[in-house]
Amino acid sequence: MFHLHLSLFSKAKALETDIDRFHDKLIDASMTFTQAIKIYTSEGRSNDFQKHSKQIKQIEHNADELRRNIENNLYSYNLIPDLRADVLELIENFDKVINKIDEVTYMFYAEQPIIPEEYQMSFNDLVRLSADAAENMCKASRAFFRDISTVRDYSQKVYFVEHESDLCSRNMIENIFASDRSLAEKIQLRQFIDGIANIADQAEDFIDQLLIFTIKRDI
Amino acid sequence: MELTFLLYLSSGLFLGWSLGASEASNFGTAVATKMIKFRTAAIISSVCVILGAVIEGSGATKTLDTLGDITSLAGAFMVALSAALTTAWMVRISIPVSTSQAIVGAIIGWNFFAGRSTDLTILSEIITAWFLGPIFGGIFAVILYALLKLIFTHWKLHILRKDNLTRIALILAGAFGMYALGANNIANVMGVFVKSSPLPALKLPLGIVLSQEQVLFLLGSIAISIGISTYSHKVIKTIGNTIMKLSPLMAWVVVLAHGIVLYIFSSVELRDLLISWHLPTLPLVPVSATQAIIGSVIGLGLAKGGRDLNWNIIGKIIISFIITPITSAVICYISLFFLQNVFQQVVY
Repeated sequence: MFHLHLSLFSKAKALETDIDRFHDKLIDASMTFTQAIKIYTSEGRSNDFQKHSKQIKQIEHNADELRRNIENNLYSYNLIPDLRADVLELIENFDKVINKIDEVTYMFYAEQPIIPEEYQMSFNDLVRLSADAAENMCKASRAFFRDISTVRDYSQKVYFVEHESDLCSRNMIENIFASDRSLAEKIQLRQFIDGIANIADQAEDFIDQLLIFTIKRDI
Repeated sequence: MELTFLLYLSSGLFLGWSLGASEASNFGTAVATKMIKFRTAAIISSVCVILGAVIEGSGATKTLDTLGDITSLAGAFMVALSAALTTAWMVRISIPVSTSQAIVGAIIGWNFFAGRSTDLTILSEIITAWFLGPIFGGIFAVILYALLKLIFTHWKLHILRKDNLTRIALILAGAFGMYALGANNIANVMGVFVKSSPLPALKLPLGIVLSQEQVLFLLGSIAISIGISTYSHKVIKTIGNTIMKLSPLMAWVVVLAHGIVLYIFSSVELRDLLISWHLPTLPLVPVSATQAIIGSVIGLGLAKGGRDLNWNIIGKIIISFIITPITSAVICYISLFFLQNVFQQVVY
């Protein structure tokens, strides 16, 4: 039994590191995404943008590997049996935000939309807000694992930033559709705005779920 | 003589088996949430219950002994059998029964039959302890919960480390609970046989000598262990998923609170310590583990902001305080009559 506990402790330590690294991936992805879109809006699909786009793909791939590792270890070593289902659901939904960042970056890479100069600043603002929502979501999620009392603080930030991103995206869509661009251009730009704003929306959904699990975890 | 004794002792052993099967729910949540395997829980439970019974079983036994001075083996057999039958029947009609209440009722039945007077001071002490058991369970649960909340507000632990810590804490609390159960409840199982036991003292390796009483407690606690290993699996799962459907940390609070209750009503050392500090003491009386657990769960519910007391379960406990001893006394009285007049046995 002593051996069993030593083994459990070392497995838990390894899993703790994996969970931390998994969270790091979202921070990496969101920061690289902000830089990538900034580069795209000023340079288009330049080599620098392509480098950032590849980095995001790699981050997403690594995050997937870590997610699978975490899920396997949680079950194989019977860790946190009472919270396992909640944690698995959180990890899955956390990964969806990283996937969304990758998906939007790929849309820019593949479709190469032309971002009119007058919307470039708004695009960068929207990206910054979505990345901010994702980063605060990441902090809230880390807090769920380490310091449950601060989950609510970060969650509140996510709600605030998501609301800001909603306002920003609506404003952009209204302006675009009020302009005299072709309908095809308008629809394409709206798809990109929706894609970016979706990152903040997914962060908000994650937080809704996290807060419920936090109540369950509270002693 | 030895064989006849074992035959008579069988009712006590049966009572021990049913106690192990029904009241050993300390590891309920840990097993139900798969934090601990049933086999591990059963082994720890068995070892601790034996240690508790052999080391500290004499305190509560003396109190029962004062209540009824049963010197006849046949009489002791029937007292234990009546208690066992009453317990089995109460479990069947879903009353949270205590073997303590059953055995006290049976002893009073024997007193009536033998024409002996019942020491009302001791009886009132025992009844007070029955009420205090669940109340103390609730109070200790509230204190432990407040302590835990304070600790975890200041100590930021990763969820995984907390899980590991909880696992160890659950094992330790469960082990302590089983030790306390052995110390407190062995009196119910073997107490009535102490005066009539012909068993000799037992010399063990390392110079350990078990007194005549301790040998009896060893046999009784082995019966409890067999009850745990053979039949408690289902009960543990039921309790883990129903009455004790708590988070592992809350289960720790409940298990430890009920363990403390059982311990304070059993430990001679603790009583002596309280006397030396000029503090009030508690009678050493067998109390119900299940009822202490129910008290702890209710206390915990109130501490967590629950407003409604579950009057249904409280009512059932109070009913069991009345019905169990009366039923057991009546069964014992009638059975002693048959044992004496039909089977021609000396019952007192």
